[in-house]
Amino acid sequence: MMIKIIEIIALPLIAFIIGIFFMGLARKIMARIHWRYGPPIFQPIIDMIKLLNQKSVSHGFIFDFGIIFSLAGTIVLILFIPFAKISPLSNSGGLLVILYLMLIAPLGLAISGGEAANPNTSIGISRKFILALGYEVPFILIILAVMKSFHSISLIHIVNTQQAGNWSIFSSVPLFLAGVAYFLILPAMLGLRPFDMVTAPQEISSGPKVEYGGKYLALISIEHALTLYISLALFVDLFLGGASNLIIFFIKILVVFIIGIFINAVFPRLRIEQAVKYLWGFPTLIALVGLILTTII
Amino acid sequence: MTLQLILLIGFGGAIVTYFAGKISSKLREIFAVIISLLLVGMVIYTYGRYSQEILKIGFLDFEIVFTLNRLSCLFAFAITVIGALSIIFSLSYIKGKERSDFYYLMMLLVNASMIGIVFSGDLISFYIFWEIMSWSAFLLISYTRGNALPAGMKYIIMSIIGSAAYLLGISLIYTNYGTLTISEIVPFIASASPNYILFLLILFFIAFGIKNAVLPFHTWLPPAHSEAPSPFSAILSGILVRMGMYGFLLILYIIVGLKNFIVLGKGIYSFHYILAWIGAINIVIPTFIAMLQNDSKRLLAWHGVGQGGYMVLGIALGTNLGVAGGIFHIFNHTSYIALLFLVVGAIEYRTNGVRNLNSLGGLIKKMPVTFIGALIGSFGLIGIPLTNGFVSKWLIYKSLILEGYPFLAFAALIGTWGTILSLYKFIHNIFLGQLPQKYENIKKAPFSMQLPLIILSTIIILFGILPGIPLKFINNIGISFGLKSLNVNIWGITSETGTLNTLNIFFALLVACIVVWLFFKIGKKSRKVSQEDNYAAGAHIPVEKYHYTVDFYAPLYKMISKYLKDIVDIFYYWIAGIVESLCNVVRKIYSGDIGTYVGYILLFLAVLIYIYLG
Repeated sequence: MMIKIIEIIALPLIAFIIGIFFMGLARKIMARIHWRYGPPIFQPIIDMIKLLNQKSVSHGFIFDFGIIFSLAGTIVLILFIPFAKISPLSNSGGLLVILYLMLIAPLGLAISGGEAANPNTSIGISRKFILALGYEVPFILIILAVMKSFHSISLIHIVNTQQAGNWSIFSSVPLFLAGVAYFLILPAMLGLRPFDMVTAPQEISSGPKVEYGGKYLALISIEHALTLYISLALFVDLFLGGASNLIIFFIKILVVFIIGIFINAVFPRLRIEQAVKYLWGFPTLIALVGLILTTII
Repeated sequence: MTLQLILLIGFGGAIVTYFAGKISSKLREIFAVIISLLLVGMVIYTYGRYSQEILKIGFLDFEIVFTLNRLSCLFAFAITVIGALSIIFSLSYIKGKERSDFYYLMMLLVNASMIGIVFSGDLISFYIFWEIMSWSAFLLISYTRGNALPAGMKYIIMSIIGSAAYLLGISLIYTNYGTLTISEIVPFIASASPNYILFLLILFFIAFGIKNAVLPFHTWLPPAHSEAPSPFSAILSGILVRMGMYGFLLILYIIVGLKNFIVLGKGIYSFHYILAWIGAINIVIPTFIAMLQNDSKRLLAWHGVGQGGYMVLGIALGTNLGVAGGIFHIFNHTSYIALLFLVVGAIEYRTNGVRNLNSLGGLIKKMPVTFIGALIGSFGLIGIPLTNGFVSKWLIYKSLILEGYPFLAFAALIGTWGTILSLYKFIHNIFLGQLPQKYENIKKAPFSMQLPLIILSTIIILFGILPGIPLKFINNIGISFGLKSLNVNIWGITSETGTLNTLNIFFALLVACIVVWLFFKIGKKSRKVSQEDNYAAGAHIPVEKYHYTVDFYAPLYKMISKYLKDIVDIFYYWIAGIVESLCNVVRKIYSGDIGTYVGYILLFLAVLIYIYLG
């Protein structure tokens, strides 16, 4: 019981540290690819401390509540995703619960941003939902392929099976295809470079974030760091066999992240229609073929 | 005697209320509320007293049988609760409108007839109550006249087709077996040939599918729901349409039985598999059509069609998880769709009937309770964890995945995203964004409107956190259908292939919310600003024009709207057009001119003479 409580407290903190480290790392790597020097790796932490001491405005109760609810939902989500062997809540619900808990964060931000009464926010949210519809189509196909192959909706069961045998990405053709498709949509789920039309600063003044300042922005940065961690950890748990100890798990997510950054640093921003067309093209096709193969094999 | 007494109070109360209205409107309202609450109390009283009552009627030697089993008890409970809440909501909504005596009469009549349907133990009294329900619903749909008349006509024409199919089905049963009492039919059906059962099932599928608005019989629903008075829309979408689901459950699981319908057909052509696919298609297309709507009630109406798909999908599978999920979803849907329609009703009431999503905005500051209702209702409809909608969907998905139907599961899961997009638009365009100046002085909804909203919101959250309360009861229904028992706990379901514990999720979310809130409190206090104090790149804020609502998902609409036409509706109108032009041709024969008629007679005689001579 005691160990469980410690796990519940520690896991979101670990996720936060990893996420914030990755955000700093991403800026540094991006800068080097662009032939710049770049900010120090711990710059996001400096920014966050600074933001907490800055003034901010509020547009009403839901404006505050939505963002708190959104971050709380993300923290709960982390407790369901195994970090190596640590997963305090994984016996309260499996992948289906994870799939639905993932909705809380964007919805919370959307209702919070909606009350800001700024069209830039609304346009940003509208883009976010369209983009989400874009990547959810392949994402659901991928998750279904995994659940069908392992004949289970429990993520911890899926990880344990891989620990006993092979990484699922190398264990069969359909799961390999599903893994590739996941990797292709990962930048869209994270809102990284070619898919950053949701928060495009030059077009819609950072979209959903436009009315946030001070501590609100700090909360959003935390949320972003945690989301970064969640998408990567889920990928490692589903396809790269999870890990038996913390260091291997960390190395795995780091490698996936750096490969992702290298690919995405060189792309220019897409328009929202182009993004959806891309997501419903190759990634969906690959995921669909994967799912069809799981039903045949 | 209890069942007959309940029906007597239901029908008698409706008529008494009508005449009370002739004396004074206060008296009528008191009567209506008391009767609807009395019915709730009596149905609760019947809990656990499952029985059968037989009423002999001299006419044609028919016996009228009333039965009460677990399924009808659950349905009766939902009917009476939604009925009572809608009546309470109507108190302010219908006040001062003309023909309100008639309105209350019809509302109570619809309620009583639905109770009659779930209590009937034979197919003929089922039919009688079914017709009373259909016709009183028709009168209520077209209550506001104007646009409501064609909507009502469309509904009643399709209803009559359904009734015809039903009559054909029961006359087939009667000629073969000589009885219409459900408990007596069951042993006969068990020994009937599969083709005969299939034919019966198709007939009843048409009869109940039209009421349940299953594709391709859904076309009456969107106009009817959007034109009906809002409290009745709540009943219509919440429970009246779901009488079709009751019919499905009755015919599939009580009359035909699980063992007999699951074996019909082979492989991908088996009856239950095709039914499941109808359910899946029913989820995807309507939820995406809903996204394109600009009328708040029409948007919800399309979701009413879409959510029906989950129920059909659940019960078509014939597994214990699926059936429990399907039945649970019927009642969850009742709670949140009724809530959302009542929210729209409250908005209509305060804005003089505005339903256009593009001309509202910012009402959260003026109607906070209504907003909370809309938010919880939407979360239930989407199926966010900790609402009841999540639990029933979870059961259905799990059943689909474990039974090995990933493509059905895909259709069901992607429907969720259609729901999110359209309901965010619903909430955003009504409650969020900028408040137009004309609504500056709008008041919050009166208490008689807020009370139903609060009760329904509580139900959604309560059964989302403690789903075991209704699930234990539903599990017993499943057992009575011959399904394996589920391992139900108060907080969810335990099993080897995946456990659900909503109570843990609730506490985790609560603690996380408190922690984040404390962190939020530590930061510098924020300054409250008005909606005009807003970032506009340094420009002046254009009053009345600073709200992004029209074509909310414009880039997506451009991509998908050409694929989302209601082809079935267009097809029906095409048939209606052909019938009309045929009738016009026939009408030309009757020109109304005596000379022409004399000509017809002479022509006819000439033909006769020609035949006679030839």
